[in-house]
Amino acid sequence: MSSVVETPALPRFQPGDYKSDLKPVWCAGCGDFGVVSAMYRAMAELQLEPWNTVVVSGIGCSSRLPGYVEAYGFNSVHGRALPIATGIKVAKPELNVVAVGGDGDGLAIGGNHFLHASRRNLDICYVLMDNEIYGLTKGQAAPTTPSGDKTKSTYFGNPEPSVDPCELAISFGATWVARGFSGDMKSLVDLMVAGMSHHGFAFLNVMSPCVTWRGDDQFKVMKAKLRSLPEGYDRTNRAAAVPYLREKEVLTTGVLYEAHEPSLLDRLEGQRTNAMVGHENLTTEQVLEVFKPPF
Amino acid sequence: MPTRDLTLAMVGSGGDGVVTMGEMMAQAGARDGLNVIKVEAYGPQIRGGESSCVLRMSAEPISAQGDAVDVLVVFNWADFTRFKGEVVPKADAVILYEASDPTPLAEVKIPTATNATWIPVPFVDIATKATGTKAAKNIVTLGILAELFAIPQESVRKAVEFKFGKKKAAVLEANLKGFAAGREFAGTLSVDTSARKLEYVIRDPKLVMTGNEACAVAALHAGCRFFAGYPITPSSEVLHFLSEWLPRAGGRIIQTEDELSALGAIIGGSFAGVKSMTSTSGPGLSLMAEMLGLAAMAEVPTVIVDVQRGGPSTGLPTKSEQSDLYLAVFGSHGDMPRIVLAPTDVEDCFHATVDAFNIAEETQLPVIVLSDQAIGQSRQTVEKANLVHEVVDRRTPNAEELADYKRYAQTPTGVSPMSVPGTKGGMYQTNGLEHDETARPASSHVMHEKMSRKRFKKLDFVEEKYPLFVHLGPEKADIGIVCWGSSKGPVEEALKELAAKGVSVSAFVPRIIMPFPKKALLEYMASVKTLVFLEVNFVGQLYHYLRTLVDLPADTRVFARSGGMNLSVTEVKNRIESVLSETTVREEVRA
Ligand SMILES: Cc1ncc(C[n+]2csc(CCOP(=O)(O)OP(=O)(O)O)c2C)c(N)n1
Ligand code: SF4
Repeated sequence: MSSVVETPALPRFQPGDYKSDLKPVWCAGCGDFGVVSAMYRAMAELQLEPWNTVVVSGIGCSSRLPGYVEAYGFNSVHGRALPIATGIKVAKPELNVVAVGGDGDGLAIGGNHFLHASRRNLDICYVLMDNEIYGLTKGQAAPTTPSGDKTKSTYFGNPEPSVDPCELAISFGATWVARGFSGDMKSLVDLMVAGMSHHGFAFLNVMSPCVTWRGDDQFKVMKAKLRSLPEGYDRTNRAAAVPYLREKEVLTTGVLYEAHEPSLLDRLEGQRTNAMVGHENLTTEQVLEVFKPPF
Repeated sequence: MPTRDLTLAMVGSGGDGVVTMGEMMAQAGARDGLNVIKVEAYGPQIRGGESSCVLRMSAEPISAQGDAVDVLVVFNWADFTRFKGEVVPKADAVILYEASDPTPLAEVKIPTATNATWIPVPFVDIATKATGTKAAKNIVTLGILAELFAIPQESVRKAVEFKFGKKKAAVLEANLKGFAAGREFAGTLSVDTSARKLEYVIRDPKLVMTGNEACAVAALHAGCRFFAGYPITPSSEVLHFLSEWLPRAGGRIIQTEDELSALGAIIGGSFAGVKSMTSTSGPGLSLMAEMLGLAAMAEVPTVIVDVQRGGPSTGLPTKSEQSDLYLAVFGSHGDMPRIVLAPTDVEDCFHATVDAFNIAEETQLPVIVLSDQAIGQSRQTVEKANLVHEVVDRRTPNAEELADYKRYAQTPTGVSPMSVPGTKGGMYQTNGLEHDETARPASSHVMHEKMSRKRFKKLDFVEEKYPLFVHLGPEKADIGIVCWGSSKGPVEEALKELAAKGVSVSAFVPRIIMPFPKKALLEYMASVKTLVFLEVNFVGQLYHYLRTLVDLPADTRVFARSGGMNLSVTEVKNRIESVLSETTVREEVRA
């Protein structure tokens, strides 16, 4: 009999193992390349089993991401990544669920779902690729497009104020909120690892330039604005995050807020465990008893 | 001669306990094995306000609410006028009314009750004297009704005991006194109600449930372990029931932020390998149109119960209509296959919902159960023994198929084995985009045609395996009614009455709308001379839909009218009689 000796030093999954053989459709230089690479590394760091992991998205350039990850994936419809992810996670809590998408997808058409997934403290990690524009539909204004910017749909300049996704997430009740930059790979991987490990709704806003509709400089401009949170920053203090929201001149990355609260699944599981007591192996017969005249 | 079939109606205000009284009688009837159908109606007030309860009890099988009532109880004439046209006493009805009502009897006009027995009853007085509070007047009324109409005496008393048994002994005692006082009062009346005394043999107890509850139990039976929904009248009872029972069965339930999210979540749940369902009404189904397309494209089994109400827009939230057929059959963009089932009564809500899960799993399609308020919220007795239905599970890939797994592999039926997350080697990244066999996005017209064909092929399988319909009445007939949903009940009742009069009429009631049992319809058409459509929607949605599938005879008659009022037995009879007279005229002209 021969036996195979495994080399214990090597982890089972390497970043490359999470790369599917589908070639990305993204433009050369698109920030989303950085996001997907960071995801491969973060998944490898966490040793996520691909077959127990689902990456869900809506529609947009960024929402193509699940196709590039070797795991289960669901590229759904515009704005609806979170409802689908909610169903997957609640129905099968043992799966690792990551939702991804663009700013239009998550904040405009899907904004309501963002509010409620955060509020529920659903146990998933949501990565929003923020390019301050609608990429796929070729350059219209998004909720994150700075006021005054000329886009395809705002010929005379964007007449609307923009929002800060992190500010929304914190106020909606997300329990882990961070900002990252797709051009800062090392920090981004760390943020993803932390977000995916967080117990509860983790929101990661990744500034991810669209070279095609925001110009080649978006990358450079963002890089120049990059700052880190100061030493000793208290991320458990909601109020501490305020100075880092709605930033214009700088771009601060890092974990802005973190809290430890029961997730939706914890609450559901508690109820379910209690509810099942005395109803083990419930049959239709037994349920039908409810409809019998009780006297 | 006593009767074997009795319909009672009770009308009052919020505090009169009309609904409680109806429920207690229904339960009592069910306990004695009677067949019972109970329908409640409320005024527009959210709480309080007028309410009515119509209850039919019969020793024979019944399929609809009697549209004319034998016995009418009115606590307050002002409330009664609000249900005018909805609660119609028979010519010789017995009418019991509050003796102290301020409305003079001369002002009460009930045109149908030409030969009625009018009995003033001091309900409040009797209740106050016997129990010390007028609140017990519904219990007094139970006593009176039990005595006058031989309504399951023993069981009604048991119902009273059960209702108040958990309260203080004094409360139970007072109510039993009220019940006895009612019976006693009835004994002092010198009216002859012998023709309306219910005669029956006590049988095994039956279950009492609503169509919505039947859908919910069916979901549990079918193995549904995830539900996501958004509240909407008249479907919320499905959500309510499952919020209690799904966790007990080890499942999970969430109330989502809207119906888009509800259908999205169950698509997610089902994708993850757990049988999942949502329920809604028209406004919610409109919102779900987008997600229906996703379920069809990504081929994720989903079950959607739509309990129809009056539309469009907010429409008539509490009342029934059959006007979501177009939306269910055609709603959502693109060429989108889906299955639409239409239950015909409370019991059928159970079967249709289990079928929906079975078909969803067998075909990986969205399946809509098109119920309506008239069955969703009416309470009927059901034989427990009838609530059995085989359950089918998902076709997952075997080891050989996993070796080179293709999520959307072309197969003879169009159905490809569906792997669930957690399965090694079964990974795929699915899509709302058009895709190839491996789920990769593909936008060539050739692939689009190929995959459209695959998706639609699944309907052939359903049409073959599930030609669900009911044929009522004789095998061959002069007149053939086509109707669906809750209309089956009144049509079935009308058919019995028409047959007794020698009218040659039958009915075809499809229980599946998409794919339509065309073969069965064509055979049915060959068995009748004149087709008559009866629909509770303004445009005749079933008729127009069927015209796209088969050549309907030019002389087909279509009676389509808006909802808000359920189809009645009398209405069916009148329609058929009008067709008969026209047909005779036409034949005379021809001669
Ligand atoms: C219901 C619906 N409306 C509109 C669209 C068109 N659409 C597709 S992606 C998109 C916005 C893309 O922007 P974003 O979500 O920010 O993602 P990005 O492409 O920038 O990554 C729009 C409007 C659609 N697919 N579905
Ligand atoms: S259009 Fe913009 S967001 Fe889309 S792939 Fe190109 S660079 Fe990226």
